[in-house]
Amino acid sequence: MSAEFSCLVVEDSPMMRQLLVFALSRVKNLKVVEADDGVDGLRKLAAGKFDIILTDINMPIMDGLKLVKRIRIDPVHKDTPVIIITTEGSVEDRKRALELGANAYITKPIQAPQVIAKVKELLKITT
Amino acid sequence: MAEKKPGASSKKKSVRPAADPVELKMQRDTFVHTFFKKGAEFTEDLLRENERLRREVVDVEEQNTKLRTQLKSDQAMRELLKKIEFLEREKQKLLTQVHEVEAVSTRFSTRYAEMEEELSTLANLYVASYQLHSTLRPKLVLQHLRELLAQLVGARAHAFYVANEARTELVPVTSDGVAHERLPRIPLGASNPDLKNAGLTAIIERVFLTGVEHINEARLAKPQGLAKPEDDAPVACLPMRIDDAIVGVIVIYSLLEQKEHFVAVDYELFKMLGAHAATALMGTLLFANAEGRLPGFEAIEHLRSAVGGMK
Repeated sequence: MSAEFSCLVVEDSPMMRQLLVFALSRVKNLKVVEADDGVDGLRKLAAGKFDIILTDINMPIMDGLKLVKRIRIDPVHKDTPVIIITTEGSVEDRKRALELGANAYITKPIQAPQVIAKVKELLKITT
Repeated sequence: MAEKKPGASSKKKSVRPAADPVELKMQRDTFVHTFFKKGAEFTEDLLRENERLRREVVDVEEQNTKLRTQLKSDQAMRELLKKIEFLEREKQKLLTQVHEVEAVSTRFSTRYAEMEEELSTLANLYVASYQLHSTLRPKLVLQHLRELLAQLVGARAHAFYVANEARTELVPVTSDGVAHERLPRIPLGASNPDLKNAGLTAIIERVFLTGVEHINEARLAKPQGLAKPEDDAPVACLPMRIDDAIVGVIVIYSLLEQKEHFVAVDYELFKMLGAHAATALMGTLLFANAEGRLPGFEAIEHLRSAVGGMK
């Protein structure tokens, strides 16, 4: 059966990326594409349409906040939900990310059920 | 009509004088009139009585109908009461079943949550182990070790200490969130009170010498990241082993702001790190010493003959 939803994971840490992909593999009908920094993320976004985007903040070349800004002016993905997943846990960081257009903010270390629940919520998946 | 004198009639008692026909007729008419009048009155009485009785019969019939309805209603009521009792019993039975199902559901939910947690823990361990052993390049192994502590455990500042060959001191080989040059070399087996932060280094030395991990639960409750991490007591010190030998110590100085305490998965990761970090590090150092040459079949043959009887 083909995937109903597609998700882009932008994360420079291979360990974290693998963990996120592992967690997201438990969401039915969700195809996951990986990008290892913001620029790679933009490249993947230009090549296809995604239903949800998960991104880290601290990444080389282009960080997650710049990526969110770019996403919000991209005609194809401007309304696509974005989840920030980061080690930065301060209220200011959270506020800044949400002001830039992120839909949710999850701090590391992640709990897989929390990520899955947030992705399902934003994709309006009830099962 | 001639009037009759009272003296004359008593004198002539034995001889009945002939009745006056007119009088007789009058008497007859009077009698007939009276008779029919009384008959009419009697008939009227009878009719009235008949009417009264008929009304009574109607009343009685009405009462009878009412009583019969009442009786039927009472019967229906009794049946309804019986039905209510039956339904009450059914309700109780269903409520009991609902409670049982709820209890089962709660058990399943709890078990599901436990399974989710276990799966999450296993995923963390799998990913950590996979990444740690996926390369023999020293730079990548050190990066994976740092990421493991930062991303999976939530350590803000940490360092990896490894003992020198003579096992006389512990040397920091990699660190994150703390200036590497500020980390002291820690002499082993010789107390050095002049060393800055002697108490801190004593903890690290003790963990190396005893192989018993040090988790500072009290330190976890304190706000972190305010002082220089290397100046404060570490949050955790974990021995790194290869087989039974302790080869180094992982020191966690502080945790991320949002990380308030260690959870079950952290302790599993500590165990994994204790057993695998040093192996991965030493493997990569051996590989570097071999100038990046991967051993071929010959090396396995050589090992087989050296060990003897290896299958």
